[in-house]
Amino acid sequence: MGMVAELERRQSAMELHIINSIQQSLDNNQPLSFQALASLRSLIINPATPDSTLSSVLDALSRSLQLNRDPVFLHHALKLLSDLASHRPHLSPFALDLLRSDSLFSSASPRLVGESLSVLLSLASIGNDIDAARFVSLCLGPSVSVRQCLLRNAEKLVFRESVLLAVFLGFTRDPYPYVRKEALDGLVKLCKNGDFDDRDVIEGCYCRAVELLRDAENYVRSAAVRAVCEWGRLLVICSEDMNKQDSSDAVFIQLGCMVRDMSVDVRLEAFEALGKIGLVSEDILLQTLSKKVLGINKDKAFKPVEGLDISASAVAGAYIHGLEDEFSEVRMSACYSLRTLTVFSLRFACEALNLMMDMLNDDSTVVRLQALDTIHHMATSNHLKVEKIHIHRFLSALVDSSSVIRSMTRKILKLAKLPQFKLFKLCIDGLLGNLEIYPQDEADVFSALFHIGRNHGKFTVHIIEEVSPEMEPASGGKLSFDSTRVAAFLVLAISAPLSHEKDVSAIPPRIFSYAVTWLGRISYGLSDLMNQEKLLAYLSECSRSSTISLADFKINEALLTVESDAPIPLCSKVDSPVSMPFWKDSGGTSDYHHQEFLSLGKSAAHAEYELGEHSELRKYVNLIFKKVKDFWSLVELGCTTEAFKGIRACKEEVASFTADSPGSSGAVAFTLQYLQVIGMLAKVWGHLRPTKMLNPYGVGKLELLFAKLDRRLREISNRFIGLSKGEELQILDLVLVACLLRLSKMEICCCNAAMKLLLSTVAHVEYLHKEGSIELSNFVTEVKKSLHDADSSSSSSTCKPLLFKKLLDSFSLQQFVLYGTPRYIHAELAVPSNDSENPLPFIPGIPASIPLAITLHNVLTESRLWVRISMNEESTQFVFLDLNLIRNEKRSINVVREFTFVAPFYRTPKAISFTVRASLGLECFRENIDRVKVFGGPKCELTYLCPEKEIFLCKSTEC
Amino acid sequence: MAIDCLVLGAGQEVGKSCMVVSINGKRIMFDCGMHMGYTDSRRYPDFSLISKTGDFDNALTCVIVTHFHLDHIGALPYFTEVCGYKGPIYMTYPTKALAPLMLEDYRKNMDRRGEDEQFTSDHIAECMKKVIPVNLKQTVQVDKDLQIRAYYAGHVIGAAMFYAKVGDAAMVYTGDYNMTPDRHLGAAQIDRLQLDLLITESTYATTIRDSRYGREREFLKAVHNCVAAGGKVLIPTFALGRAQELCILLEDYWERMNLKVPIYFSAGLTIQANMYYKMLINWTSQKIKETYATHNAFDFKNVRNFDRSLINAPGPCVLFATPGMIVGGFSLEVFMQWAPSENNLVTLPGYCVAGTIGHKLMSGKPTKIDLDKDTQINVRCQIHQLSFSPHTDAKGIMDLVKFLSPKHAILVHGEKPKMATLKERIQSELGIQCYCPANNETVTIPSTHYVKADASGTFIRSCLNPNFKFSTCSSTDKSYLDSNKSKAVSRLSVSDDRATEGILVVEKGKKAKVIHQDEFLHMLGEKKHEIQFAYCFPMHMARTEDLSSTSHMLCSFDKCTLISRLSMILSDELSEGNILDLGEELQVESFRVSVCSSDNCPHRLSSSLQNGSESVFFCCHWSVADEKLAWKIISIMKNSTL
Repeated sequence: MGMVAELERRQSAMELHIINSIQQSLDNNQPLSFQALASLRSLIINPATPDSTLSSVLDALSRSLQLNRDPVFLHHALKLLSDLASHRPHLSPFALDLLRSDSLFSSASPRLVGESLSVLLSLASIGNDIDAARFVSLCLGPSVSVRQCLLRNAEKLVFRESVLLAVFLGFTRDPYPYVRKEALDGLVKLCKNGDFDDRDVIEGCYCRAVELLRDAENYVRSAAVRAVCEWGRLLVICSEDMNKQDSSDAVFIQLGCMVRDMSVDVRLEAFEALGKIGLVSEDILLQTLSKKVLGINKDKAFKPVEGLDISASAVAGAYIHGLEDEFSEVRMSACYSLRTLTVFSLRFACEALNLMMDMLNDDSTVVRLQALDTIHHMATSNHLKVEKIHIHRFLSALVDSSSVIRSMTRKILKLAKLPQFKLFKLCIDGLLGNLEIYPQDEADVFSALFHIGRNHGKFTVHIIEEVSPEMEPASGGKLSFDSTRVAAFLVLAISAPLSHEKDVSAIPPRIFSYAVTWLGRISYGLSDLMNQEKLLAYLSECSRSSTISLADFKINEALLTVESDAPIPLCSKVDSPVSMPFWKDSGGTSDYHHQEFLSLGKSAAHAEYELGEHSELRKYVNLIFKKVKDFWSLVELGCTTEAFKGIRACKEEVASFTADSPGSSGAVAFTLQYLQVIGMLAKVWGHLRPTKMLNPYGVGKLELLFAKLDRRLREISNRFIGLSKGEELQILDLVLVACLLRLSKMEICCCNAAMKLLLSTVAHVEYLHKEGSIELSNFVTEVKKSLHDADSSSSSSTCKPLLFKKLLDSFSLQQFVLYGTPRYIHAELAVPSNDSENPLPFIPGIPASIPLAITLHNVLTESRLWVRISMNEESTQFVFLDLNLIRNEKRSINVVREFTFVAPFYRTPKAISFTVRASLGLECFRENIDRVKVFGGPKCELTYLCPEKEIFLCKSTEC
Repeated sequence: MAIDCLVLGAGQEVGKSCMVVSINGKRIMFDCGMHMGYTDSRRYPDFSLISKTGDFDNALTCVIVTHFHLDHIGALPYFTEVCGYKGPIYMTYPTKALAPLMLEDYRKNMDRRGEDEQFTSDHIAECMKKVIPVNLKQTVQVDKDLQIRAYYAGHVIGAAMFYAKVGDAAMVYTGDYNMTPDRHLGAAQIDRLQLDLLITESTYATTIRDSRYGREREFLKAVHNCVAAGGKVLIPTFALGRAQELCILLEDYWERMNLKVPIYFSAGLTIQANMYYKMLINWTSQKIKETYATHNAFDFKNVRNFDRSLINAPGPCVLFATPGMIVGGFSLEVFMQWAPSENNLVTLPGYCVAGTIGHKLMSGKPTKIDLDKDTQINVRCQIHQLSFSPHTDAKGIMDLVKFLSPKHAILVHGEKPKMATLKERIQSELGIQCYCPANNETVTIPSTHYVKADASGTFIRSCLNPNFKFSTCSSTDKSYLDSNKSKAVSRLSVSDDRATEGILVVEKGKKAKVIHQDEFLHMLGEKKHEIQFAYCFPMHMARTEDLSSTSHMLCSFDKCTLISRLSMILSDELSEGNILDLGEELQVESFRVSVCSSDNCPHRLSSSLQNGSESVFFCCHWSVADEKLAWKIISIMKNSTL
């Protein structure tokens, strides 16, 4: 105890001594010696030093700074200050003040300035210390390290884009390669964040980046590849529509020249960049797969920018080279970028498939996996054409020693549609071989067999006929069911009745009873489709009669999600694109699903019944969402028309999907609604974003589009219940985008309303975020941040179109993933026996009563419903529908209610006959209306639940 | 200064690569190979062309050998031990390690054939003592002026491209190289160098090969099908290179497919070579280097040693046997046993010398082969021809030449007509002067020579600071000419002028010096002269009320109005230049115009044309640089009315 006290006493005595000696020398106007500085440092880094001592240290330092201008001294003082600031956060403001003071930050020595800058940057406290002029003059100074540091951190210092652009572009000419690299990186960042529409500037940057593709240094070249990619994309966007394809091809070729670079990093960058250029014409794509110059490309030359002629032959064999690269990273990157390009051309996909099949022989497992993933991607985008020459190579992956590879291969097989029996047989043999060598794969092999059998009903029947002697019990009456091979055939056999093809009921019924003996193992394999009880029910049903009419069998109905003549019914076979072990994926979700149904108050049996179908449906719609995400990237590229086509195709696909069973309609309706929202958003986006197109629509048309978009958004956010918080957040993202789009356009913006909506949406997002602890998207965080900034800087500035435009850049559509089953709120409205021939009677001037037969689906009791009856624009009236007052015989079921409601229509005109239109609206609580409503209508905007119904009224003749 | 290249071998042919390059006073011999097709004096390069007296030590600075193939190294023991060259010889470590094996093997074969011996085992050992091994990318200072550096070339283990630099002249000799990796070797790799000359092989001057995956697939399929059906596979190969590549391929496939069929190596060179490979991991491909820590790829798990008793053992197997092309030895012995069964498979290398059994098998499908008078082999087995090659194809050569962009290129090691085609392509597509000399010819090309100069302090200081300028370079897009509305295409471009501000001054008897342009006048003691043009001319004026004053003396206010009107006219008509309105004066670049109030202006050409108040005189000044612009403005002014 005494010793500690003694130590403390000694230490404080020493501190005192140091401080005193320093004070003394300062009082004598003597600069501090280096020894004194060293002892100060010891004080600073010693955590036991009290704050009072440290503030006197600070004081001493500031005084000595005024005395001594020696650069070496200043350097040490700077180091002390930065130590102080980092060790004692609460003292850092003072230290920083000192740092910013004349002596250091504005010192004549660029080295000191550089050092103080990097200290400030490392403490993340660079604010308004440096203005554009000072920044430029420092950059132009002779110190290379300062220049490099400034360029690297330029965007933290936040200047006008024009300043940054000039500086970055200028320093691409610097003789020091690292400065050139920083400048190029700066240009890339600028291009991503910035908003450029001056074609000269874009061309200038692009050309400069292209020049640097031939730089002597590897790292400059790889930075140049990135820059060419980004500015090239901008160049494509700003090209006229006629030249878009050509300039996109040219950028692609330009990047393709770099795949033969000697540096691995450059090659990696090059392939990554190739995958980013979306719109490439087929000829060019095909050329990348052939080292010989194709006839069609012989004399093809592009001139995206004056003086940058490039010939199509330059890209010859780019992918061949990439796929046989020495480095597995490059091969993987090549596989990956192929994956994005196969979407655009079927012919290219076929050719690429050849290469991918070869890649299955690669010596690196990750490359093989990536190749399979690419094939899987082709399959999901309907661009997979398996041919006979492929099948051997492909099936050899089934006996690969890596289980991930095998599982991925089976995943693809589940999707395959084989044209010939021979191929089918080969696949089955392949799967049996897999099972034989790796018995641990049994569950997934069974599942694959089941899927493949369902996809090829006739072939299955055929093959079962061939092998049926094998499946029969041995002569002794003993069943030889111990063979896994027999089990595999049984799985195949029982899949046949569920086939999408018609008239395939030739499987002998006893087979199904054999299968029952394998129930446990089979049902484990098919756990993604049905559970054990259901399987048993199915098997016993099938084994009962020889002529099964499965048409009325429930499971078949449930499994047969698509009409048999549908092309490749992806829906029934696609699972999540995330490459995780299959069983885990499906098992996990069905459990979740199960619970959800229970919570809805349905019987457990009912839930199980729907189980299989729903997970399938969900997979299917999630696939659609994935596609939508791809289309959105097209929109961002400015190819709105292409994206639109895609979305429309998706809509058709979803619409063709009949939702018979009760639970599925919600998901289907939701998907359709989502597609519509994205479609509208794409339309608006295409008109507002800098795509260089002259807006073909005027402001009025745009206003209409906005109104439509708003309505769609309102519908998607209010008409579905049972969405998870994550799902809701994703929808709110879209609402935010719509708000920002509106705000970014001065002419149509009614600032206050949009701003209000924006703020309330952000608030809601925050609420959900807190509740659900869900990660917010980057975009939302940006929006929140800038709203906060705008708030703090000036309260009056509400309309800042540029700010909002900038914010929009950070938006990228996330893939929507549907986990649960949303329920769709909708209603049917009818007026019994009313048409133009049989009008309702009314007496002019006296309220008329309109009997409405209303069916509500999924409407919660607490929601506020209004009947809107309008005769024309001016006379619209709202009638409140109090759900609590409605007597309903089937009250227990929350889902559907049917009742009749007599709505009064007050303002009957003085006319012989007239029509009104009625519809049912749900009040959305988040959106307040500014307008004052007549007749005390709803306070908030309405979402309409049914189409408007026309009602005919005729002057009563009875009175 | 010039670079002289004397081609002693491999000029317009494949074989005995040998090239003597004189570069800034240094003479380097690249490769010293022998021709396998000849047994007479044509077998070796004609060394007498290097030195008539046979004093090779003074005639050559050094010898550089790129890799251990006999057509690149075969004549080396002869040259050092018989011809008596004692100077330094450079090669990479693996080449030094493996070359004696190759040479010894060749010598033994010669012995066996009863040819007269060109060199002995002792010769080989002595020769190898003179070799200085180098590492990749290691810069070796051969003497004061000559630097050499080796770069990875693929092809075979230890193969290198060599960079040589004397003073300012630099060149690369590629030797044989491969631009695509195979299972055990990486692709050639070189930095972007400033070269005067590139000497490249051109074995496949016109061939474009497709992906190696296809070749591998065919090979694996053939082997797999054969062993699956219970057959035996014979792979006759050379000991080094191909054997290892194919073995890695098979090993990997075996591993993945879980095959248990044994793979055998016939005893002898191959096993020894494998040992070397295991030590030379650093020279193999990326994949092998990466996995080396966990598993040495040359530790073949499935490979076992073969002995004769196994030849007729039942069951499938794969056997690697030397020599390739089935010229004799063990591979012939096995072939004789296995050929009669149709279950078995023989793979042949891509190239077989005429006269060998391999060649006979390749040309057509013979059912019987006469080995000698008494022996006849029934051939019923399957034949698979390998198309692997360790040489780069035409595209690879083009890619390398494009990447290095030398000032000149020389093609060697190829067939004459194909080389001519490639030469044309290099000249037309890449714009690089290209030659393909025949043997014993000399090609002379100019080389770079830099002058060393001092620099003044001001110039150095000005170079330290960036000094970039932005400009919009305009050019007229010709495609618009038809539509009669020429559209100027302008683009933002940036340039940094700091070097161009220097002026090179060479004074008599002094070293050359670079000074900054500002210093120049001071140094000469001269003043700066500028040429300025001036012109004064009248301009028509519309009659307006406010300017129809009787006085000729215009007040300054009126001058300003006139100038601003002029400015408006010019900005309408003039597409380039930045018009600055300076009140009483208008400025476009260096062109200045103002209202001339003096009647006796010296720049006025004719004072006779006077229309009173209807015209006003304008006085213009400009410097030479903007002459075109000036006349354009003047013509605009003359043709318009204020």
